[in-house]
Amino acid sequence: MNQEDKLKILKDILLKDEHEYASSIEVKLKKLEDLINKQNNLSKHIDPILEDKLEAFIKEMPKTLGPTITQTLQEEIKNSQDAVVEALYPIMGKMIKKYVQKEIQILSENINKSLNNTFSWASIKRKFRSKKSGVSQGDMIIHDQFKSKIEQIMVIESGSGLIVSEYSKTEGIDQDTVAGMLTAIKSFAQDAFTTQIQNLEYIEYENYHIHLQNFSNYYIAVVISGAFTATFRSKLEDKLLDFAQNIINKTDLENSDIFNTKLKDYFDNENI
Amino acid sequence: MKISKKIVLIGHFGVGKSSLIRRFVENTFTEDYKVTIGVHILKKEVTLPKSNDDITLVIWDLEGNDDITNTRPSYLIGTNGFLYVFDMTRPATYQSLENDLDYIKDRYPNIPLKIIGNKKDLVTNDFIKQNKDVFGRFVDFYTSAKSGTNVDDVFTNLAEAVIKEAKK
Repeated sequence: MNQEDKLKILKDILLKDEHEYASSIEVKLKKLEDLINKQNNLSKHIDPILEDKLEAFIKEMPKTLGPTITQTLQEEIKNSQDAVVEALYPIMGKMIKKYVQKEIQILSENINKSLNNTFSWASIKRKFRSKKSGVSQGDMIIHDQFKSKIEQIMVIESGSGLIVSEYSKTEGIDQDTVAGMLTAIKSFAQDAFTTQIQNLEYIEYENYHIHLQNFSNYYIAVVISGAFTATFRSKLEDKLLDFAQNIINKTDLENSDIFNTKLKDYFDNENI
Repeated sequence: MKISKKIVLIGHFGVGKSSLIRRFVENTFTEDYKVTIGVHILKKEVTLPKSNDDITLVIWDLEGNDDITNTRPSYLIGTNGFLYVFDMTRPATYQSLENDLDYIKDRYPNIPLKIIGNKKDLVTNDFIKQNKDVFGRFVDFYTSAKSGTNVDDVFTNLAEAVIKEAKK
């Protein structure tokens, strides 16, 4: 055994642990290399973490980024109004055009229908009125299209908001709930303006006008479609006054059947 | 002839007035609390079991108020029946019960009034027994809007009392 062999044996004895440790490190490094370099292996480990993080991000995004995005958008719109108008103009323009076209079509169909009913009583009456007043039939028909029309009448007990009587040509709304809400709104307005002398008299709801006429124990709510002109309002007030003073009496208030009949008879042909 | 009666629910904030009405009218319940602002009105038609009368209950759900004297009097005009609701789990909602009831009875002496201890699902029978000094003296019904316990009975019972009062 020469000197070199002896040294080797000595090295093996002294560095055995280090060799084993270096070998294990080498194996681990190899595994890590496999893990990083082979996409399938890596994605198995990374995907669940990414999915969790992404899910958390999606959940938190409205809270964290929402206000920033909203603020940025608001500022952008404010600073670039011309660009926004330019972008929206074609869309809005088309929408409005389409709506106006549709409405004109409906109006035109209604006018045609009216003109075609040459021998109807309404047509003869209109011709006569046209000759007498000098207003063309066409103008009269157009005027009729926008005429105020009573849709519903509700007689409502002042305090409780309960319906005493009701008449409508078309069933559309829940009268009990609407009567209650109208009464609550009236009460609120009275409280808010701290006066019992004044009353809420008018509410506008999209295409409908709600006229409220107040009496001592009850009030009458009239739902009107079409143009609610001052002339129509004045006539309506007179009619409601006449109805309250001359048509109904105190006992009718306790009998909704009689009240309903009187209301229907009086307003069936709108009578205005 | 159609009979309609106005029922008003009063009580502190968050005692479950809206939940009781929703359970009675729609048979639904939600844990989400939405505070009532002003007043909300719903209705339900019921047939009374004893008299067989058909009656429409127009129910006014008033916003909660810790002090009953702050309730808008105009909302209470013409009321045919009151339901006073408190939360059995929150003593603050029934500490002034006696005074509140006196306040209602003074101003509306002939109007039927029922007192309701709500959220029964959150308390035990032992708890009710322990508090019988308050509950036993005043409460007409223990209800749970969540489970529906006694909810229909409360409204039916009040409606019967209202009809009885109207026939006097």
